[in-house]
Amino acid sequence: MIEAAELRKEYGDVVAVDGSTFAVDRGEIFGLIGPNGAGKTTTLKMLAGLLEPTAGSATVAGYDSRERDMRRNLGFLPEDSPVYEEMTARSYLRFFADLYDVPRSVADDRIDSTLDRLDLEVRDRPLGNTSKGMKRKVAIARSLVNDPDVLIYDEPASGLDPLTTNAIIEFVGELGQDRTVVFSAHNLFHVEELCDRVAIMLDGEIVTRGTLDEIREAHGGVEYHVYSDIKVDGGEPMGDRYRCVVDDMDAVETLRSVIDDAGGELLDVRTHEPSLEEVFLAVAEGT
Amino acid sequence: MNLRSVLRIARWEITSGATGLDRRAVILAAVTLLALGALAPVVLMAGSGPGEGIYRVGVEPSSPYYEAVRHDPSFSIHEPDLANLRSGELDVLIEGEEVTIVDTRKGRAAGSALKAAIESHNDRLMQSEPDQVAAFPVTVGIEYVERNVILLRRSESSDDGGGGSGGSGSGSGDGPEGFEGSPGQSGGSGDSGGLPTIGGSDALLGETGGTPSDISPPFPFISLVLAFAFIVPMNFVIQAYASSILHERGKRRGELVLVSPVSRWEIITGKTLPYFTLMLLIAAGTAAAIGGGLLSLGAVIPVALLFLSCAFVGALLARSHKELTFVLVTVSVVVTTYVFVPAIFTDIHPIAAISPLTLVVRELEGAIVSPGTFLFSTTPVVIGAFVLFGLGGGLYREEDLFAQRRVPAKLLDALANPIDRRAMAAVMSLLAIPFVFLAELLAIAVLFVLPLELSLPLLIGSIATIEEVAKSLHLYAGYERARYDRTVRTAITVGCLSGLGFFVGEKAAAVSQVVGLFQLDLGRAAFELGAGLGGVSSSPLLLGVVLLAPLALHTVTATISSIGASRGRTPYLGALVLAILVHTAYNLGVVIILG
Repeated sequence: MIEAAELRKEYGDVVAVDGSTFAVDRGEIFGLIGPNGAGKTTTLKMLAGLLEPTAGSATVAGYDSRERDMRRNLGFLPEDSPVYEEMTARSYLRFFADLYDVPRSVADDRIDSTLDRLDLEVRDRPLGNTSKGMKRKVAIARSLVNDPDVLIYDEPASGLDPLTTNAIIEFVGELGQDRTVVFSAHNLFHVEELCDRVAIMLDGEIVTRGTLDEIREAHGGVEYHVYSDIKVDGGEPMGDRYRCVVDDMDAVETLRSVIDDAGGELLDVRTHEPSLEEVFLAVAEGT
Repeated sequence: MNLRSVLRIARWEITSGATGLDRRAVILAAVTLLALGALAPVVLMAGSGPGEGIYRVGVEPSSPYYEAVRHDPSFSIHEPDLANLRSGELDVLIEGEEVTIVDTRKGRAAGSALKAAIESHNDRLMQSEPDQVAAFPVTVGIEYVERNVILLRRSESSDDGGGGSGGSGSGSGDGPEGFEGSPGQSGGSGDSGGLPTIGGSDALLGETGGTPSDISPPFPFISLVLAFAFIVPMNFVIQAYASSILHERGKRRGELVLVSPVSRWEIITGKTLPYFTLMLLIAAGTAAAIGGGLLSLGAVIPVALLFLSCAFVGALLARSHKELTFVLVTVSVVVTTYVFVPAIFTDIHPIAAISPLTLVVRELEGAIVSPGTFLFSTTPVVIGAFVLFGLGGGLYREEDLFAQRRVPAKLLDALANPIDRRAMAAVMSLLAIPFVFLAELLAIAVLFVLPLELSLPLLIGSIATIEEVAKSLHLYAGYERARYDRTVRTAITVGCLSGLGFFVGEKAAAVSQVVGLFQLDLGRAAFELGAGLGGVSSSPLLLGVVLLAPLALHTVTATISSIGASRGRTPYLGALVLAILVHTAYNLGVVIILG
């Protein structure tokens, strides 16, 4: 559904994105994560046709990202919620439905249905007089007025209160059931919760990508925490006992022998699956 | 371009514009427009110039002076009462044949005006006499000519007529035929420059003759004021238009429209259309109120486009409403100066032809405007407006629209955006021609009132500066935005291309000859220097040299600037100064050679 091939974007001497290549299948939720300035937003905007790549290309829903027809099948949500404050939610959404050639009756039904799902009651108040969360919901509703197959969301729940954040993340998860979604987020818990696959960007480059398991595997995978009553090499005190961290069961068995030989006792062995955040930090720190 | 998308955006612009205004702003705008609308008919009905009714005269209808006072609009007639004179309510009191004037500055001015009014009244009486030869035994014709020191010297040395000095009377009563002095001077600044005779100004003065006391230069005051009524509302409309564009940029509001399936040109056209339409409606209403026709409307459309395009670019460059205010004030002053100042000289001087507003004045005065004159006045403005829209359109994209860069940096972006190959250096110079044309016409309009000894060198320097900046600024932008390699080879290539493009465009600007602006010394200086067409010899070799000389000039100076620009800002400025000096030296050489 989405293919990015060697996407590159330069701003003068600054390379914002350097050769990003990835593909997103139909019906997949794809997460793009990375620190600030990594090139996530630039990548998403190139996919959405807002920015022209300096080199490389992207196809979205079968169209080159620079083609106007591509936009008919795309819902884009930028990081901010740039709404026209003087318009009401309804008139704002109708305006965009018009731009997408959606018939008025279809648009009205779709707008009402989406706003109902988003639990947005205030529909006829100027958007300038609504909360940030409401504006965000309207912006999300706007990305759906044309009923697109592809959604590109940049930080969909950024800067919102926990309740609204959860509601929006849940809604994005629902959208991902029958659409292709690419989104970026700083909250890696949300990415872990929603995404089928993930790419990690650093300094404009995609440094790793794959399913969460594949990424964990590639960057440490499962760890074994071995607890003993005596200190052995690599052990760290944990209260009244010591912990050693090893990568596989062979290492656990070796450690058991070492503890036995030293006259100690192996107290416990626990497995630990690193979170995406830990993997991300490990990647970011180059470990 | 999809018309439906354009209309949708236009409709949205109207809706959001209307809902975005608070009640107070709507009332203020309505009152302003009504006041402006009322201005035209009031001026039209008033039918007189400044100073109407400023002198209060107490006079009885039975007084022999009554008719003289009544015919002069500078007087207002009141009851003759000595007490009112003493209290200062009257400036002049006429009782019987006794005239009393208040001993104040205004009173003395009123006395002088009364004297002139009485003389005019007596002249009218003489004109009504059946025996005109007895009434006016001597007739003197008057012809207005350009004030030009060099011209007079030439005329005096070659012709005893004393060009422009008033000439000798023929005694035939036919006026202008008695003038022999000014035609045919070098530079064509004499009467062949289209300067009006007293007959030409008859329509303005409403008389076919008069005594020496009636003689005054033709000045179409009423028509000018009425023509100005077209311009004033435009200054208000561009405020709203530019604010709307800036609003689109604020908080990245326009980003989502950019990602919808409409092109930026449809967005720009849709957002501009309501304001352009509003301008047209106001202009049509103004025309209907003051008696203008389709010609006036046709002449005002380019001005509206120029206002809108300047405001559009200004709104894209400004980073805040504060900056936008500064930009719009500049736009208002420059555009209004360009269209209004030359129009003051309608029927007096050919320089007036550069302004579309002159066409309005001429239509209001009942004069005939040829298609060539219409095109000359409007074409540069229209092309300039569309080029500005084109440059602004280049900035109407995500990476420029929301960027908060300084105005000069954005200007460089606008110039660099269209550059995708070296050949664009020629195209950019070609596209700069309308602005060069407008700037040079403005320079002529500003400088022509000075003595030729002063205005000509100033103009030559101004023209060299304008043209060298126009040829090189886009090259500098190209280097700064990494569109061109910073190599000597590229610098020479794009420099030559820029010079070539400018040369081609300059040839196209020869349209200036249509209305005889070449007959004006400064006009020749402005448009002939670069083209090198003046005084061309019949020798084919010399003809070839003269034709190719401007091409050589433009390529050499553009290459100098280009090499400097490829090295950075300071070298560019140095090279630009050098190019201007070379260009100025060339122009001076041409002036000296052509005599």
